[in-house]
Amino acid sequence: MNKHIKISTVIITLISAFLVYASFILGSSEDYLFPRLISVMIAVLSLMLWFEKGDADKSTNFKDLMPGIAIASAFILLLKILGFYLASMIVFFSLVMYYSKPIESKDFWRVLLIKLGVTIVFTLTLYGLFTLLLQVRTPEGLF
Amino acid sequence: MEFLNYFDNVFTVYHIALLVGGTFAGIILGALPGLSPTMSVALLIPFTFHMKPESGLILLGAMYTATVAGGAISAILVNVPGAPANIATAMDGHKMAQNGKAKDALHYCFMSSFVGGVFGVLILIFFTPPLAALSLKFMSTELFWVAILGITIIATLDSKSVIKGLMSGLFGLMLATIGEHPTSAMERFVFTDHLEGGVHIVVGLIGLFAMPQVWNLLENYYGTKNKVFSAKGDSTLMQSFKLVSSKVKALSIGSIIGSIIGIIPGAGGQIAGIVAYDQSKKISSNRSNYGRGEPEAIIAAESANNSMVGPSLIPLLTLSIPGSPTAAVLLGGLLIHGIFPGHDIFTKNTEVVWTFIDSLIIAQVLMLVIGLFLSRHSKWIMKVPDNYMAAGILLLAVFGTYSIQNDYSDVLIMFTLGTLMYFGSKAGFSPVPVVLGLILGTMTEEKFLLGNMIGNAKGSSFQHFTSGTINIVLITLCFTSIAYGVYSSRKSKQN
Repeated sequence: MNKHIKISTVIITLISAFLVYASFILGSSEDYLFPRLISVMIAVLSLMLWFEKGDADKSTNFKDLMPGIAIASAFILLLKILGFYLASMIVFFSLVMYYSKPIESKDFWRVLLIKLGVTIVFTLTLYGLFTLLLQVRTPEGLF
Repeated sequence: MEFLNYFDNVFTVYHIALLVGGTFAGIILGALPGLSPTMSVALLIPFTFHMKPESGLILLGAMYTATVAGGAISAILVNVPGAPANIATAMDGHKMAQNGKAKDALHYCFMSSFVGGVFGVLILIFFTPPLAALSLKFMSTELFWVAILGITIIATLDSKSVIKGLMSGLFGLMLATIGEHPTSAMERFVFTDHLEGGVHIVVGLIGLFAMPQVWNLLENYYGTKNKVFSAKGDSTLMQSFKLVSSKVKALSIGSIIGSIIGIIPGAGGQIAGIVAYDQSKKISSNRSNYGRGEPEAIIAAESANNSMVGPSLIPLLTLSIPGSPTAAVLLGGLLIHGIFPGHDIFTKNTEVVWTFIDSLIIAQVLMLVIGLFLSRHSKWIMKVPDNYMAAGILLLAVFGTYSIQNDYSDVLIMFTLGTLMYFGSKAGFSPVPVVLGLILGTMTEEKFLLGNMIGNAKGSSFQHFTSGTINIVLITLCFTSIAYGVYSSRKSKQN
């Protein structure tokens, strides 16, 4: 069992233990009958996982992933404050700007305008299609 | 021939527009490497929420059909299958692209997909009603075991590790227990106000399928990308048509194998394509050319993975057991429109179900026409940058999730669930069994509680669940499926 498998197996075992705890300690027995059965089965399988000769876990490139998660998390928080469309424009533009190949200085403004244009067109398309045409509600916020 | 009566419902301007839009978007989404048919259908479900059931299902059906066929474009031009169903296509299709015959390969793909697809829908039309009648014999315990069988099959076939597959299915069932108890309405596992309403099926679908794709695209953004070949070639449409129609053996093998595998719960297009490829190679006179750009190989693989689409809905419509991962997501689509699979599906929802099935035939025709048109411009589709795709999917996922119940909590659940699934997939867990567990969870618990009550009244709950021919057959199938999963996982490790 390599280091990565050990870490994931430990986490899964802890989750299983929590599920067993939550199913058996909380609430009345009748209401928790089915979850108890499931949590026990999960716990048994998590113990079997320790003896399985599985493939190594895939490694995660946190360096490239974490900025994306941070931008998306900010988007979720901004939704309620700024409303869906304004928050969408900011997050779309932030993602395509952060995740982009290095831009030569002479092309900087051209690339920036293209990305801004795509952002505005994409968001306006969503607005036209879903809010104006299908009248689907979105988080409102300020706008 | 009841199905012929409902074509009128399909031929309305609105439904044709939905079919064209669904097929067009489906081919493009299927062609984009990294976007699976399952994710595309999951992302679309909330937008069908406000439509009539038949309209919503028509759109979802068109998307399902088109994404499977569209996946062949990236398999041929980039050597990255758009969906697992297109793995076999990539083997010879990409070789043809390297030889400057990408256009010809794309013609063969869409033409053979059309033949296989129509064959599969005809199987769906003629086999579903008798099987639906058979499901009349299923009572609470049988339906409980059917749900467990569905989760077991998907869990063992969709994961490399049987233990992790089964755990994924059980996690899904556990997710379904969050919120109100199905009979007493008592709240369970509501650790925060955001969980009061439980985990909505569509919120789970979007979170489990869309968010991991977003993280995946961003994580690998700076990685090396495969070269995209142009859709060049010598053949005209007529020459390609003549070649495809002359390969009757490859078309027949693909269509029949795809249909049989489609009916087997959980097997899916990946297996259909590979088995058809292998079988057609065995009987082909050109078998030495397989792997070097042989048209027959593409024809067999593509007719198989599209003929699987219709039959994969047979166990879904009759017993709630999906025939493929995308069919599992489609089950969520049926449930949110109030259509419950089972023996009375053709009596309670006659018009909706037949209209949906008929629309699948029209979707095949549109897939052929639009697919042949788009394949000329496919190099440009392939060039959509990953950062734009990730940003677009993120916005659509959040938008779709919020629009279901206008509830901000759903967005938080979707985001958290999706991020956890992403890290879970790194450790070998698959989202498909989780989704199926979540979809079937409430029904499974209800049948379990009902069976338990009847069993206790009779004297033994255990005996009630384990007696009767259908129960015994279903339990045996569950164990057989686990045993097969263990066997095939060991075999693949040895290879």
